[in-house]
Amino acid sequence: MSAILEVDGLVTKVNMNKGAITLVEDISFRLEKGEAIGLVGESGCGKSVTALSLMRLLSTNVEITSGSIRLNERLLTRYTEKEMQKIRGKELAMIFQDPMTSLNPVLTVGHQIGEVLKRHEGLRSSLSKEKVIGLLKQVGIPRPEQIYQEYPHRLSGGMRQRVMIAMAIACSPSLLIADEPTTALDVTIQSQILDLLTEVRRSTGMSLIMITHDFGVVAETCDKVMVMYAGQVVESADVRTLLRNPRHPYTRGLLNSLPEKTRGSRRLYSIPGSVPAPGAERKGCRFAPRCDRVMPICREHNPELKPVDEGSQCRCWLYQSEDEPEADL
Amino acid sequence: MTTPLLEITDLQKKFPIKKSWLQPQSYVHAVDGVSLTVREGETVGIVGESGCGKSTFGRCVLRLLEPTGGEVKFQGENYLKLPRRAMHSIRRNMQMVFQNPYDTLNPKLSISRILAEPLIAHGIPRDQHRQMMEEIIEIVGLTPAHLARYPHEFSGGQRQRIGIARALMLKPKLIVADEPVSALDVSIQSQILNLLTELQEKFSLSYLFISHDLSVVEHISDRVAVMYLGEIVELADKNSLFADPKHPYTQALLSSVLSTDPDASRERIRLTGELPSPANPPKGCKFHTRCHACMEICKTEKPALKKLEDGTMTACHLY
Amino acid sequence: MDNGSAAPSVHAGSETKGNASERLGLLSRVMHRKSARFSFISLLVIAVIGIIGPWIAPHDPAKSYYDAFLQGPSARHWLGTDVIGRDVASRILYGARITITVALMAVGITFTAGTLIGVISGYIGGLVDKILMRLTDILLALPAIVLAFSIVAVLGPSLNNAMIAIGIASFPGFARIVRGATLVVKSAGYVEASRSIGSPHWRIILFQIIPNISNVLIVYTTLFMGTAILETAALGFIGLGAQPPTPEWGTMLSEGKDYLDHAWWLVLFPGLAITFVVFSVMMLGDALRDMFDPKTEVK
Repeated sequence: MSAILEVDGLVTKVNMNKGAITLVEDISFRLEKGEAIGLVGESGCGKSVTALSLMRLLSTNVEITSGSIRLNERLLTRYTEKEMQKIRGKELAMIFQDPMTSLNPVLTVGHQIGEVLKRHEGLRSSLSKEKVIGLLKQVGIPRPEQIYQEYPHRLSGGMRQRVMIAMAIACSPSLLIADEPTTALDVTIQSQILDLLTEVRRSTGMSLIMITHDFGVVAETCDKVMVMYAGQVVESADVRTLLRNPRHPYTRGLLNSLPEKTRGSRRLYSIPGSVPAPGAERKGCRFAPRCDRVMPICREHNPELKPVDEGSQCRCWLYQSEDEPEADL
Repeated sequence: MTTPLLEITDLQKKFPIKKSWLQPQSYVHAVDGVSLTVREGETVGIVGESGCGKSTFGRCVLRLLEPTGGEVKFQGENYLKLPRRAMHSIRRNMQMVFQNPYDTLNPKLSISRILAEPLIAHGIPRDQHRQMMEEIIEIVGLTPAHLARYPHEFSGGQRQRIGIARALMLKPKLIVADEPVSALDVSIQSQILNLLTELQEKFSLSYLFISHDLSVVEHISDRVAVMYLGEIVELADKNSLFADPKHPYTQALLSSVLSTDPDASRERIRLTGELPSPANPPKGCKFHTRCHACMEICKTEKPALKKLEDGTMTACHLY
Repeated sequence: MDNGSAAPSVHAGSETKGNASERLGLLSRVMHRKSARFSFISLLVIAVIGIIGPWIAPHDPAKSYYDAFLQGPSARHWLGTDVIGRDVASRILYGARITITVALMAVGITFTAGTLIGVISGYIGGLVDKILMRLTDILLALPAIVLAFSIVAVLGPSLNNAMIAIGIASFPGFARIVRGATLVVKSAGYVEASRSIGSPHWRIILFQIIPNISNVLIVYTTLFMGTAILETAALGFIGLGAQPPTPEWGTMLSEGKDYLDHAWWLVLFPGLAITFVVFSVMMLGDALRDMFDPKTEVK
């Protein structure tokens, strides 16, 4: 009954010459076994930073300054780098948008997948080769014996992504984080890859965090979804509820901007203005300057993330009473 | 029936592949006989996945790449073989908007110098420059104060507006837009698409709108052409194509689009196999190796583009 | 359609670029880095010495003091005297001017020829590129200093010929680098945009390509300056460059080497001068290169 992943109050900052800038804050969520949650937002909202924080793969001047991350009850935020290396690839895996930069161009596919097995399961070459070919089959790669010996640059984008997935699931991790895995792929390949991920989840019970800017991907693969804006979660709900009945004005604006929502009309809905830069001076709700339903209180105080319904949360004064204003975050 | 603005007939672009001295020269037919017309004020969307040749096609129309065959007529005049001088005056009428807003503006030049370039290249007298720039920059949603700034001071969406402004400076009749919103966030995409629609209404522009994003193409186009391995497999008006796709590839493509409606049917037409290498396309119908409705004849005979009752043109033996 | 103000860039260290403010911006960046600041100021000092050298020199560099042959550093002759009684300190001060002149002239030749060939080769491509690069390959086959020797040997030993030789010997390497930078810029979106507008090639080269390779040009010109100074001294040392009695530092080294065991000051001071100048130039070049490379720039 306990969750695979529990994130509580995560805050990640980057250290610059002028001081620390907050990239994400107040990130809290639970992920159960076998569940898939989507992390949606536009560029700069902090979704990738959140993922890298979970993996503890942040660059040198970026660090988690508060909050906790628990994977299978273990407190990852306290782990040393050595301890993290033991679980990365084994219990916790990640796939990225551009497989070309995650795959070593001078090593064969077989070698790279085998490396994961060798490191974490100590398998020797002959045994691991068999297992690797099995994995290649599992991810739907045709002629796996041949591909075993191929180099990444000879494969198409879709194939490379399948190889990445094979590497990620080699040791049957409890959790897979996928950062925009299909953004760079053609739409026909995209649906194949997403099907593959769903199939893997179904057969292994693996949980998934899907990071994307595309609500279609979320609708296709996720059970729950969190929408991020300017480093904070602004709405979270199960997929059906959020897509059918979005609450936060930003979520509504995003969904309304999609061309498929305005069939027949010459004009699309668009949210005026643009995303604020991290570290910009903030008073009140971060979305207030662009919100079509802004109220005076919105400019004064940033609302907290509060439950609105069974399982849904929203960070918006429209759904909260104003008699307990919180200090600015 | 007035002369269409642009008449493309059997356009071809092949690239030589380096092989050893002993073997005969072989080619990749990136654009393999594409025919299309664009009327004034019309938007023709070109859709396809990677390797279909749509970007190459767009560049060939503007002669940024020299086509290796075929004809393109602008207002009745074939300009593919024109020498540089004559081509220069035709260029005024056709401009391009590029995909990557972070790469399309020279970082060392101010916006006013970037916008002045087309005017200088076509001999517009200098005293008119300022006024023309101020006019266009406001039309795209920025202000004259922005003219003195440099590209790195602007966001992606703003840079794309500047790119559009640059394309408008010479008041062209046709704009080839190569994935103009693909690099932008969703909320900015809609702003830019609205801008493009407005400009079309205002200036009677025609667009050749190249994109891989079907929902965007559906929104902005009047007619749509679907490309596969260098050829058009289906060409129809927007509504017919999206409501009733004829070619199996179009059907597979449309069924792969992910809907944000959680209750929508998720049945897909699966494409088998991988995209064949453009250097070595399949015999007969190029799509037959992945087609769910492949017949014997498809393997040997190449289907020609045929006009159907509802006006759709498609290249498929099923019809 | 409100776009508000320009979105600020998240990258710290981004500059406001403008023709006048760009130069100023570059200068302030240089002054901010310790290594760059030190070397830049040193070079400034050397340049000033080069200009005012003749006025601050305590003695006439060509004058022989018959009462002070081969004397070590003393109150009257701070850096000692040489075998025919000339004041070393004054000779070094005059020599600064010579060194700087040679460096600038040689680099001038390298820069002009190298940039011209590199840009044209990179931009035009095809057969022109192939031919030009084969020619530079031929020149690059020899080490630069050997090539410089050969040219001087043909033209005859003199300071002028040394400058020409060094310039010619260095330009192939420079041209290659410029060509590489040109190729990178040529594939940029804004160059393609210029072509689609119908801009003539010369405008594209002048306004699109060259401003965007300026960083490369600055860095490698600076680095070549260091090499040029070194090579001038080398040629002088061998006797193929400046001829005695010219107080060029390399020539002074050559004259002093025979007295190394008992008149160490004849070799030490010119040697230190050469080392110091070359070191400063190279350090500045390195610092500039780091400043311009976004990957090594620490934010």
